Amino acid sequence: MSRFSAAFRSFFSILFSGILPEDIASEFGFTKAQPVPATPPPPPAPVHKVSDGALQMLQILQRDSRLIDFLMEDITGYADDQIGAAVRSLHADCRATLSRHVTLNPVMDAVEGTFQKLDATKAPDPSRIKLIGNVPANGKAPGGTLRHRGWMVASVNLPPLGKQDVSVVAPAEIEVE
Amino acid sequence: MSQFIVGIDLGTTNSALAYASTDGGSTESPEVRLFSIPQLANPGEIAELDLLPSSLYIPGPNEFVEGALALPWNSAPPYITGQLARARGVENAGRLVNSAKSWLSHQTSDPTQPLLPLSAPEGVEKISPLEASTQYLLHLRSAWDAAHPDAKLENQSVLITVPASFDAAARDLTQRAARQAGYPEVTIIEEPQAAFYAWIARTQNWREQVRPGDLILVVDIGGGTTDFTLITVTEESGELQLERVAVGEHLLLGGDNMDLAAARFAEQQFTKTAKKLDAIQFHSLWQQARAAKEHLLSGDPNAPDEQPLTILGRGTGVVGGTLRGKIKRDDIRNLLLEGFFPMVEADAVPQRQRRAALMEVGLNYASDPAVTKHLAQFLRNAAGNTGVGGFARPTHLLLNGGVLQAGAIEQRLFEVLNSWLRAAGFPAVTELRSESKQADLMHAVAHGAAYYGGARTGRGVRIRGGVARTYYVGVESSMPAVPGLPAPMKALTVVPFGLEEGSRVELPQRKFALVVGEPAEFRFFSSVSRKGDPPGAMIEEVGDDIEELAPIEVFLPPHTDAVREEVVPVTLESNVTETGMLELWCVAADGRRWKLEFNVRERLAA
Repeated sequence: MSRFSAAFRSFFSILFSGILPEDIASEFGFTKAQPVPATPPPPPAPVHKVSDGALQMLQILQRDSRLIDFLMEDITGYADDQIGAAVRSLHADCRATLSRHVTLNPVMDAVEGTFQKLDATKAPDPSRIKLIGNVPANGKAPGGTLRHRGWMVASVNLPPLGKQDVSVVAPAEIEVE
Repeated sequence: MSQFIVGIDLGTTNSALAYASTDGGSTESPEVRLFSIPQLANPGEIAELDLLPSSLYIPGPNEFVEGALALPWNSAPPYITGQLARARGVENAGRLVNSAKSWLSHQTSDPTQPLLPLSAPEGVEKISPLEASTQYLLHLRSAWDAAHPDAKLENQSVLITVPASFDAAARDLTQRAARQAGYPEVTIIEEPQAAFYAWIARTQNWREQVRPGDLILVVDIGGGTTDFTLITVTEESGELQLERVAVGEHLLLGGDNMDLAAARFAEQQFTKTAKKLDAIQFHSLWQQARAAKEHLLSGDPNAPDEQPLTILGRGTGVVGGTLRGKIKRDDIRNLLLEGFFPMVEADAVPQRQRRAALMEVGLNYASDPAVTKHLAQFLRNAAGNTGVGGFARPTHLLLNGGVLQAGAIEQRLFEVLNSWLRAAGFPAVTELRSESKQADLMHAVAHGAAYYGGARTGRGVRIRGGVARTYYVGVESSMPAVPGLPAPMKALTVVPFGLEEGSRVELPQRKFALVVGEPAEFRFFSSVSRKGDPPGAMIEEVGDDIEELAPIEVFLPPHTDAVREEVVPVTLESNVTETGMLELWCVAADGRRWKLEFNVRERLAA
């Protein structure tokens, strides 16, 4: 088959039918994608969705420190001292719960408001350091004022998910008289 | 040979386990470590905590999601012990077992019977205080074995602490619980002594802090009991010797009672405006009252005058339903210091009458909450043992127990004791303080027990002491009985105060005739204050200083051989085993021996 004929046929076949003629495809070493033979299914692992871990964290924060109750409550009508009294207690509980399950460290352990040197030869890892203000065009800076230390999780300590329904963040409670 | 010495503080409200390696050579201070105890903190969540709350929860059917109660060593345990038991028990008290230890020394009910939970609704299985204690020990053993597969607890040298005031039957029950939980033969050690050992273990130069002739008072205020002990320091061929010379009466009064009193007091301000607090709200208040006590009574002059109390709203209205209150330092000071540690004279006598406020169904809490009055009485009773008139005069004071984290309570104890000493013309006591004191008030007892385990094998000093009470058996007097009145009871001294481990006393003077094939029962008495009665002494009148315990009994099996004897004359013999257990034996002339058992089934009616 001449190059001219192949090009001509391919052009019109793709233009009108959307596919490459089979003989031309095989001529040029293309093959049709074949369905991959199914590998044996892995043993049925506990089916935990990606979101289950997040729901579990909500569950724990609610159970041990009432975080969902607090966030879902409309507090606009309450006086500041009423809110203050509750928040002091809620804050202490949430903090204790969080630190029980997650170890949080600053990304940059330095005093906020002070100058921090950066490696001027390369742009910082954007997931760790966010440059703000007069960012140079090449994204590299010799340093700047630390505005926020950042947070990163050093370790997570969550109990294994059992058979409970994680979509129930808090069960309803019925007190039997 | 065991690899570890394990000390267990089997407390009324919390238990702890400390251990030391046995291959520490000949150093006097083996390194003692605290074991982190895996336990359920929430359904499905295991946490490792330094303390195992002595709480047991009997789960109902379908109460928890399947598998949520699994422990690393048991996929479906019948009971929950520890943190989760305590937490779930707040929500459902009818299935919660608490204070089992206090029931082991109960004088009127049988701790081997299923009594707990007291308030269990119809249909809930109950368990015995003995079984509850067994479960706590089983939890500790299983946790240990899981962490030390090559050094199982059954092969270690194990010590368990009990209040110094525990009588022989309560100590025997503690041994029994350990046996049922698969422990090896355990050694029983008194808590105040363990606290003292902990001080020795942590104080490098302890020998420079005490001198021959000193008298050390140990006050151990646990969650549920308060214990007093006196230890003398003597010198023998250049070496310091320690001897425990007196222990207090069983005082069912501890830090928990104090926290509860503070919570009840604080509750009044809420109930004036709102409805009654429910169990969960009250529990929150109880926790806060405990924290407020430690904070407001820290003894720090800069401590605030009051502390806010916050009870979050129940239901989803957490902010709107929040109740606010406060507790003033003066109030809590008045309530706890004046109520439990009043300034009293050295001749103060505790009231015998029961105070309704301190009663919980079933448990006979101390009738007078004034710890200082009990202390005054203890020191007067102990005077005879320490060779002075009036009251025993300690030169040093060692305090132990979580309640002493409230520094003002500690200060008050010193003030009271020193006021007595001053009035009698004696110098003030010196505090025995170890550097790590504050952090370790909760764990000192387990720590000390592990140290003592080393001391028994020749590493470090050992407190001599022996039996903490004098024991008697009842003998009916031969006086003609007055019609309608029981024959007067006399008491024969069978175990002298201070009988040491590994020694025995025979009483050949008095013969008893036992009938073969029939159980024989002896009435059994003890005294913590009569310390001079020699073995064999007959006490003609059983007075207030002698209390009756559960009876002891023996059964002579019928003979199988042809020569049938009906009656065997026996004498009594008592001994204290190397592990500190008191045993009483009946001995026949031909050398046959039968052991007398403590019969807790027939405890006295109140």
